[in-house]
Amino acid sequence: MSVWQLLSTPFVQNAFWAVSAVALAAGAVGYFVVLRRQAFAAHAIGHVGFAGAAGAVLAGLSPIFGLLVFCLGAGLLIGVGGADLDDRDAVVGVTLTAALGLGVLFISLYSGYANATYSILFGQILGVSSRDLVIVALLSLVVLVSVSLTYRPLLFASVDAQSAAARGLSTRVMSIVFMTLLAVTTVVAIQVVGVLLVFSLLVAPAAAAEVLTRRPRDAMFAAVVLALFSAWAGLFLGVWLGGPVSFWITALASSAYLGARVRASLRRRVQLSA
Amino acid sequence: MKPLELDDVAVHLGDATIWRHATFALEPATITAVLGPNGAGKSTLLKVILGLIEPSEGSLQVLGAPPARGNPRVGYMAQSRHADSLSSITARDYVGLGFDGPRFGWGRSRAKRDVVARALELTGTTHYADQPLSTLSGGQRQRVALAHAAVFRPDLLLLDEPLAGLDLAAQAEIVELINLIRDTTGAAIVVVAHDLNPLASVVDCVLWIARRQVRCGSVDEVVNATVLSELYGHPIEIFTTARGRRVIVGLEEEFAHPHPHGHDHDHGHDHEHEHDDLDHAHDGVAPEAP
Repeated sequence: MSVWQLLSTPFVQNAFWAVSAVALAAGAVGYFVVLRRQAFAAHAIGHVGFAGAAGAVLAGLSPIFGLLVFCLGAGLLIGVGGADLDDRDAVVGVTLTAALGLGVLFISLYSGYANATYSILFGQILGVSSRDLVIVALLSLVVLVSVSLTYRPLLFASVDAQSAAARGLSTRVMSIVFMTLLAVTTVVAIQVVGVLLVFSLLVAPAAAAEVLTRRPRDAMFAAVVLALFSAWAGLFLGVWLGGPVSFWITALASSAYLGARVRASLRRRVQLSA
Repeated sequence: MKPLELDDVAVHLGDATIWRHATFALEPATITAVLGPNGAGKSTLLKVILGLIEPSEGSLQVLGAPPARGNPRVGYMAQSRHADSLSSITARDYVGLGFDGPRFGWGRSRAKRDVVARALELTGTTHYADQPLSTLSGGQRQRVALAHAAVFRPDLLLLDEPLAGLDLAAQAEIVELINLIRDTTGAAIVVVAHDLNPLASVVDCVLWIARRQVRCGSVDEVVNATVLSELYGHPIEIFTTARGRRVIVGLEEEFAHPHPHGHDHDHGHDHEHEHDDLDHAHDGVAPEAP
């Protein structure tokens, strides 16, 4: 089969729509992850999701339900407990460890086929079913609509929490709003790239965008474009050359970040010497 | 209707009384300096006005109503912090957040662009409005912060330490700008400060908070030896220099050692930082040199 024939097969078509939905949500939410310096929370929620997915598999349910319950629960915990910058890292760290412990327990109790665990950890984009696709698309849509509705207050509270609080935006409420969005986005991103590589879509494109742009709207747009590019090109390369799609996506997103940093430092050097 | 009216207000946090018996009112289009030692409760006063802390006793009216979180007629400028979280946004975007940042939803205000442009113009920040905040100097950033706080034309504007960390020339510029904002918007402006002198030419009232008490009045009514000696419970002298600056003698403890426990009176290297702070920030209303 040629690469074009492969691309038109149903499982690649499903994968295409799934990565598109995920990249849109992850790019938009990723901007706030980078702006709020909460990459560690994003990392932790992904790993908490692993425990949830393992629990769901153990109970004979679809992993996505376990992911949703655990990620939302962890998001709420971190959102409430870590609203203040001071104790955020501790709250995130303890939540992460407790959940990973549970995950280990669930896996040890599960006597079935270990492939489910593997796909949660590293993603299995080419195995997205039509039903999964509907869930992923719906959740991404919910995230995008929510981000557009909360964009300004979220930006305000992320950039200047003190002034935002004085103007009536509770730091805690905004922290919970953000963590909820992050949790749902993580759940959909795990479908594509897996727990361990969630960063590739959630943090790398947004971090590159923040380096490349100055204005929030531009940064968010750039983050979405870079996430989409990494996802589409990663899928294409995976189908064409072989190798896991999540590897290609991760490689491309990280390269985008590296490229952005190199470009920025070259610019600075030019400005200094000018 | 007064911008701010307090009648015998007291604030307790936990078991501690921050201050009590605060009774005063502010008029529109006036500037009030809030002075007093570190930890006396100056920022607490702002939080009470903003509705973030509830007063324990007394009655408090903000623009004719009880204080409420997010009152759209009250502006606030936070103490400046390190700019790392502000780095990626431009001055124009930050001022825009002052206008509609607290608002949820899709509605985009058509007036926003003009209102933001006018605030930038008023504060003289137009020519660096499209630079990231992290690239601006301290004084420039304070100007942008003032534009952010005043962009929606509040009737009561609360400024927490707008002069902190600025050199004397920059302080004078910010004071001039605060005066300009008062004149153009007619807002009552409350300025928390460490030193009266840079503000002395523009203030109408002084609020002095110390030892859990609050004194309010004109500069001469409050900043005189009798009132301050009574407020602090020990003799305080005030000298006026040839250029009209006030030098207050007798406040060494409060300014240099806001937390009296654990400090000896050795003016060695340990205190170097505090003295730096004194030399710059308290120019004038400061103790005599050690």
